[in-house]
Amino acid sequence: MMNAVVVQAEGLCKKYKIATARYRHDTLRDLLTDSLKSAFRRNGNPHQSKDDFWALKNVSFELERGEAVGIIGRNGAGKSTLLRILSRITQPTEGYASIKGRVGSLLEVGAGFHQELTGRENIYLNGAILGMTKREIDRKFDAIVDFSEIGKFIDTPVKRYSSGMYVRLAFSVAAHLDPEIMMIDEVLSVGDMNFQQKCMGHAKRLLDGNATILFVSHNMFAIKAMCSRVIYLNEGSVRYDGPSEEAISIYESDSRESESRLDSMSWGEIAVGSKPSEWSIYATDIQVLDEQGKPRTVFDFGERIRIRVKFETRLPIVKPNFIIAFVRSDNVACCSYSSFVDDFHTSHIDGEGVLEMVTPPLKLVAEAYDIVILVRDESFQIAYCAQRGTRFHIRHELLNTHFGVFHDSADWHLSTTP
Amino acid sequence: MDTEITSTSIFTTPFVEIKPSRGLFQLDLRAVWQYRELLYFLVWRDLKVRYKQAAIGIGWVILQPLVTMLIFTAVFEKFAKVPSDGLPYPIFAYTALLPWTYFAQALSRSGPSVVGDSGLISKIYFPRLIIPLAAVITPAVDFAFSSVILLAMMVWFGMVPTWGVLALPLFLLLVPTTALAVALWLAPLHVRYRDVGHALPFLIQIWMYASPVAYPVSLVPERWRLLYSLNPMAGVIEGFRWALLGKASPDFMLMSVSAAFVLLLLLGGIVFFKHMEKTFADVI
Repeated sequence: MMNAVVVQAEGLCKKYKIATARYRHDTLRDLLTDSLKSAFRRNGNPHQSKDDFWALKNVSFELERGEAVGIIGRNGAGKSTLLRILSRITQPTEGYASIKGRVGSLLEVGAGFHQELTGRENIYLNGAILGMTKREIDRKFDAIVDFSEIGKFIDTPVKRYSSGMYVRLAFSVAAHLDPEIMMIDEVLSVGDMNFQQKCMGHAKRLLDGNATILFVSHNMFAIKAMCSRVIYLNEGSVRYDGPSEEAISIYESDSRESESRLDSMSWGEIAVGSKPSEWSIYATDIQVLDEQGKPRTVFDFGERIRIRVKFETRLPIVKPNFIIAFVRSDNVACCSYSSFVDDFHTSHIDGEGVLEMVTPPLKLVAEAYDIVILVRDESFQIAYCAQRGTRFHIRHELLNTHFGVFHDSADWHLSTTP
Repeated sequence: MDTEITSTSIFTTPFVEIKPSRGLFQLDLRAVWQYRELLYFLVWRDLKVRYKQAAIGIGWVILQPLVTMLIFTAVFEKFAKVPSDGLPYPIFAYTALLPWTYFAQALSRSGPSVVGDSGLISKIYFPRLIIPLAAVITPAVDFAFSSVILLAMMVWFGMVPTWGVLALPLFLLLVPTTALAVALWLAPLHVRYRDVGHALPFLIQIWMYASPVAYPVSLVPERWRLLYSLNPMAGVIEGFRWALLGKASPDFMLMSVSAAFVLLLLLGGIVFFKHMEKTFADVI
């Protein structure tokens, strides 16, 4: 019974008519004019129209009881559509899925909350909408209020709540659904840090109680922390289904290719223009390697990173000052290395070349960082090149952005007087 | 966390199959029954929300038909000299206004109800039929409150109900059924065509003039009477006056015809609604 399949999806497809989206608020007049138009234009097959959009193409997988599975993919890859089908909000166009067990789906925190009702009233309303019975809500009421930290505001209309309180209350109701299969769409990323940890803790407890979790997120760290298996969706199909580390690294190498991260940076455009190939110097390739020179994108806290930049110059540059900076995914510039500051001088460069730099042991906290390449003069006045390059990750189980930008050990001393 | 939870959950059959539904008649009405508590909470929500921050709260429920009755009495009895089949005009009008107000409320709430709850429909699964159903049930509470006024008026005017009062539940049942039957067609259409939202108040207004609310059926020309009586609300209002005020009974033959028509409309409406609900979340 331990490894029973609780969710089985077979060949799920979902077709949307782009036309349907265009006529969202269509009126009868549109219908009349359009049907007149199409009556006069009887060419082409009405069933195979170019207005069709397949949000999901032949998606199959099985989930076993007790598994925590992440779903990743770029925007529009079909993640939310998949969750909407599995939670029965919309029907698949083709395919089949079966689900054994009580499903709790959290596609939006606080769906069904009514602004005019109090916190207490909304707990009952939202609980009923999520599928709880009144008796069940009665029994869990105190636990829900405790978890939400709403306290004495429980009898205040939720329209007077702060957004944080609102989200906390809404999540608390959903968290007490105690489902056997939980589907979560990007909602754990709400609330303050304490509350987030509480939610993660709750999800872990559900897992310990042998619940199955299906978790959609863009946050690779949350995925890694919770899920051992990841389904990577790309343009509606399963691109990879397997261990999290593998799935995430495939996903990241895919996004690098498609996004062409060697694009210029927006602020750099002002200084150097928008087309790298028109600059006097530009990077043609940026590689992230470990100390030994092996390509890698995930590093442990404290590791050295080797960065190799291939460049081409159109005009000779006298005394270039190479700058390599790390910008965190939330756009905080965390550190930068300058060849001029480090006393690495070059009289001039021309033609093609390769620049290599090895960082000191990096003490940056666990996050995703983008590499930014700048080429300037030694007085930091002129910019010849400004490019955003590859992304890498720092891994640490404890040290995250809540500890600041970087972490280093200190010397401690304590003296006490009795 | 404990196993008791699953046993009290409303999912008595925790096995769900998800596939495109092909047939027209997979109605799955059992799911509506399983979610009856949600139906209760949606009605409760609508009632709560309506009278929050309203100073006289539930007083509005009584005030609306009462004031309408006074206006009708002034306009139709005093100015237009509309006959009332020998009954005091105020109670003649109020007996009709009671079921009519309920019907108008039920229809104007349930018609746009699916679009009104679009936030729920695109985010959470539950049987969608619950939404128009709740909208039809909510104004029944208003009906109960305003019937107290009718009782008071009957005492005041010394009216004694006839044996027809035993048939009253049948008339009472026909009103929400008619409202629901129409709403099951209008609500899905409203999801696709917002025109329905504009047309609905107009439709209700026309329907009122086609029902004997302010005037007696005896004013309707004889040759139109047959067609007129097919309006289920005409039968209901005549039935109310017959049961409570001792007026001549409505034509039961015609009433059964229109009741049968309503039932047909209801069944078709359920099929239509279930067919359309598949795309609610995609289109809304």
